[in-house]
Amino acid sequence: MRVNPNYATDMVNLMDLAQQNEDNAAQQLSTGRRVSLPSDNPAAEAAMINANAQTASIDQYTASSDSLTDVLNTANSTLSSAVTLLQRAVSLGVEGANGTNNQSDLDTIATQVSGIQSQMLSIANTSYAGQYLFAGTATGAAPYVADAADPNQIDYVGNGEQNQVKIGTGLSVAANLPGSSIFSQSGANVFTALQSLVTALQSGDSTSIGTAETGVSTALNAVDTAQAFYGGAVNELTTNENYLSQEKLNITTYQNTLVASDTATAATDVTQDQSILTATVAAAAQINQQANLLTYLH
Amino acid sequence: MGLTADLNVSVQSLLASTQAMDVTTTNIANQNTPGYARRTVVLEESAPNGADGSTTGVDVKAIQSIRDAVLDLSINAATSQQNLSNTVSNSLGPVQTVFSDTASDSIGSTIDSFFSALQQLSTSPASSPLRSQVLTAAGNVASAFQSTASVITQAQQQADQAVVQQTGEANSLLQQIAATNGQLTTAQNLGQSTNSDQDQLSNLLSQLSAIVDYKTVNSSDGLTLTTASGAPLVVGNKAYALTNSINSNGFNDVYAGGADVTSSIQAGTLGGDLQTRDQTLSTLASQVDQYAFQFAQAVNNVQTAGSDLSGNPGVALFNPPNTTTGTATGAASSLAVALTSGSQIAAATSGGASGDSSNLTTMIDLQNQPITNGETPDDAFSNLTFSIGSTISQANSNSTATGNILTQLQNQQSSIEGVSLDEESSNLLLYERSYQAAAKVISTIDTLMGNVLDMGVTDPGY
Repeated sequence: MRVNPNYATDMVNLMDLAQQNEDNAAQQLSTGRRVSLPSDNPAAEAAMINANAQTASIDQYTASSDSLTDVLNTANSTLSSAVTLLQRAVSLGVEGANGTNNQSDLDTIATQVSGIQSQMLSIANTSYAGQYLFAGTATGAAPYVADAADPNQIDYVGNGEQNQVKIGTGLSVAANLPGSSIFSQSGANVFTALQSLVTALQSGDSTSIGTAETGVSTALNAVDTAQAFYGGAVNELTTNENYLSQEKLNITTYQNTLVASDTATAATDVTQDQSILTATVAAAAQINQQANLLTYLH
Repeated sequence: MGLTADLNVSVQSLLASTQAMDVTTTNIANQNTPGYARRTVVLEESAPNGADGSTTGVDVKAIQSIRDAVLDLSINAATSQQNLSNTVSNSLGPVQTVFSDTASDSIGSTIDSFFSALQQLSTSPASSPLRSQVLTAAGNVASAFQSTASVITQAQQQADQAVVQQTGEANSLLQQIAATNGQLTTAQNLGQSTNSDQDQLSNLLSQLSAIVDYKTVNSSDGLTLTTASGAPLVVGNKAYALTNSINSNGFNDVYAGGADVTSSIQAGTLGGDLQTRDQTLSTLASQVDQYAFQFAQAVNNVQTAGSDLSGNPGVALFNPPNTTTGTATGAASSLAVALTSGSQIAAATSGGASGDSSNLTTMIDLQNQPITNGETPDDAFSNLTFSIGSTISQANSNSTATGNILTQLQNQQSSIEGVSLDEESSNLLLYERSYQAAAKVISTIDTLMGNVLDMGVTDPGY
């Protein structure tokens, strides 16, 4: 059987192949990835893209949660101040109702309650980053304004809506509580209660002072109860963020199994392929030096 | 019998040995010539010499090229296939980079960022900087679609240029094949050797097979070449050139003898470029257009259902070329953001307040709805990635597999046709000795004849 006398082409092909293998191994080692292009492993690439979309989503949910937490915490501490103020108002009311005051004292107390009323208005109109916190979704304008006809009456001009924000797949939180559910609840309007107390103190009538003080107490409880919303929302966000970071870790681990090269394996491959290349080149050189018949004739 | 007969036979032998050495020399000289098949000398006993016909000499019956025609055909077919796969892989290579997971400005990435920006806005819907960010993200999506469309179009245009170039190369080869074919037929008719023409023809056909696939029929006119669909390319010594003609897509179609053979060219580099241009990339381009169009449409529909920051009804966010009643063609390359200010984003439901984000939530939910190519926006992108990755991967596998087959076949061919220097040198020795022996016989006969002539001469003079 006649053999192929022209092995040179074969040797060149083999050397090319060995070189290519070595190049691939070196690239895997330096990039840390087995899969660099869609054609390397189309299914893995498609899965990577889907995983990237998921992690982008998770990153965003986390960022949103952080933003919301800031706002909610601000609102929460604002309401704590409000509660403190109302507690002070209640003490003033109790003091005014104890029957030992003269009208002059009562007037002084009334002024102090008036001061608290102004501060409450300010608190109710708190804004954060240019948006009013207690206006429902009408965040562009102050929710509590003096009534045009009666300056002692405070009207709520916000709305009763809550901004629902997605913080996870199928999971939303309400990002705010409208003022109408905090300061101006039906039967527990802070401003009306405080105004009644001022009026009662100015009138000097103990009974009406006592009634007014009870009204302020009721309003205080209402605000206090409403405040719990904010703490609850922050807790929900924190729990969710913990879950999200675990999710992200899972996905990142999965992504590594898809495309990452194992450093030890890649390094071994490079060394191995280098040896093969060296051996192939040496063999080619050796074979080319082999004698043929012509060298032995004449 | 007889000295004269012996002399004639020996002279014949000299000639035969000389011819044989010629062949050996030719083989050695052409060892590396492409298409060359080694030649051997076929010797036979010649017609008898002399009165009783007992002395026979040697004739060179023929000088034969040793080649396997079937093997040659197989090699050419495999070459066509491998070139097809290589061309496909090479032309699609630049296109797949815009679909990789590491490209941060890919369609998939920018769409993810767009939805993230929407999400961030929902935490504070009236925020001006957050609204601007949404517009920026939308602009990035439009850029991504535009540049992807551009990469695809460029690849198509390059493939198109290659089609024209290869048509020209093929035509040049067809002319040479026709000329060689003609020479071969003429030589055959005159009873002359056709070995060199066969070698040349083999080389030319091999080069042609790299460019395009063809069918061959051997007839009394010599070789007939046709396209796979039967349109003539070479008949006898006439070549029928391929022509290019611009089609309705602005690309060059290939015509043979007035018939459009574009879709029947299935292999070779020409087949690869046509397939890439007219099938793979064409499909991809329309899928990307569809993707852009439907994505823009879905976002616009939500946008127009809500209220912007000023309380006005929302207007279209994206600007595809043809609105809801139009077709998607060209949508990707001309996608742009139509809004000029973030305040135009309709975050609120219709009639809602500035801090309401319920319409925004509807827009965000599009991410999980099958709005593009029947799939969610993320799945649509990952599926396109998978599709082009698979096409290239498949082409690479085919190329490797065909390459292995080709190597085997070429080794086989070489073992049959290839010139072995060892073999030729030993033949050289053989024929050299034959020549020397014949020359020796002649000189012996000369001496004997001299003796004969000297018989009957009384005074030889020496």
